Amino acid sequence: MKQGMPVIYSSVACNLDADMLAACLPLLEESRIDALEWSFDALYREKEVPGWFRDLLTAFGNEHRLIGHGIFFSLFSGRWLEGQQEWLQQLRRVCRDFTFSHITEHFGFMTGKDFHHGAPLGIPYTPTTLKIGRDRLKRIYDACRCPVGLENLAFSASIEEVKRHGVFLEQLLEPVNGFIILDLHNLYCQLHNFGMAFDELIALYPLHRVREIHISGGSWDDSLADPGRTVRRDTHDHAVPSEVFRLLENALGRCPHIKYVVLEQLGVGLQTAAARKTFYDDFLQMQEIVKGNCRPQTTADLVNTFLPGSILLPETRVEDETLYQQQLELSRILETAATHDEAIGALQRSSLAHSSWQIESWEPYMVETAIKIAQKWKLSSANA
Amino acid sequence: MKLSKALLGAVMIGIAVHAASSC
Repeated sequence: MKQGMPVIYSSVACNLDADMLAACLPLLEESRIDALEWSFDALYREKEVPGWFRDLLTAFGNEHRLIGHGIFFSLFSGRWLEGQQEWLQQLRRVCRDFTFSHITEHFGFMTGKDFHHGAPLGIPYTPTTLKIGRDRLKRIYDACRCPVGLENLAFSASIEEVKRHGVFLEQLLEPVNGFIILDLHNLYCQLHNFGMAFDELIALYPLHRVREIHISGGSWDDSLADPGRTVRRDTHDHAVPSEVFRLLENALGRCPHIKYVVLEQLGVGLQTAAARKTFYDDFLQMQEIVKGNCRPQTTADLVNTFLPGSILLPETRVEDETLYQQQLELSRILETAATHDEAIGALQRSSLAHSSWQIESWEPYMVETAIKIAQKWKLSSANA
Repeated sequence: MKLSKALLGAVMIGIAVHAASSC
């Protein structure tokens, strides 16, 4: 390891978005950004990647400081989708063009019929979904041939789901020796929405698998289902709250294999000079916390490369048509319900009732939030 | 990470052009 080289890279999520890039520019000019995270599958909107952006990605990739973050793969779709096949082909192509240090995706399945317009929702934790998830992770690794990781989910409908998430992630990632992106704003959503303590929740995560941490902002929703309650949502459109910086200070020392800490904010939240200045300040605050937690690496440190041993890729893809039909049914209910009461009634009459989905334990205020998320994405699909 | 001045210049121009064409 080179002298003076940081053990943990202070990074930004950077896509081909004018506002996001404009916010990153002062940090690039001051050589503050250690690594870039690029959502390579967001390129479907672009006819071609401009040469200067390719050169920027190449410069970071050549220094092993480029990481790829997928959005649309829909890891737990019960049926293998044509869009997933195309996604893997695109991943192969970008991995030929750029050098990625690792590739990540989101936990969950995507609502909606349009591959590029959906919201990530949770799934029941069963042997079937475990098999599907493991199969998909192997296929992602087969396409990228570098470490593969998953981000913890922001949205959960029940506290039981929140408590089981970490263990399920460990079971899922173990066969590919995969890693976790610990998204601290997602964690903040869970802590607030289910009234949990940080120490209680973080103890349920396999922190030895955390290679990357995300910090970002979000927004508050007033609940009609539970008047007086606010729901925290992972909308990425505001500055990082002080609580999330505190979570970062508390989490870093518990993650022995942490290598990247990434600041995320959508371009829609970076359209003014004031918002860009706040983004700059947020990065500096993040960098200061990261530097305070960097420790010299010693030969005694066992570094997990997060590369698997040999992977046997089955010819037949794991699928479950019952699960797929339930996912379609859930998506339809959430996308069309006018109220949370209507959605809960429809769920109780659906094939998800009295099943491994455990809809009976879903909090009404989170069903209400799920409706908002699903309908927001459906609307964006209609306007696209 | 330190970028070359040539790349930084190209990125600055690229962002301006991209912003103009996406506005």
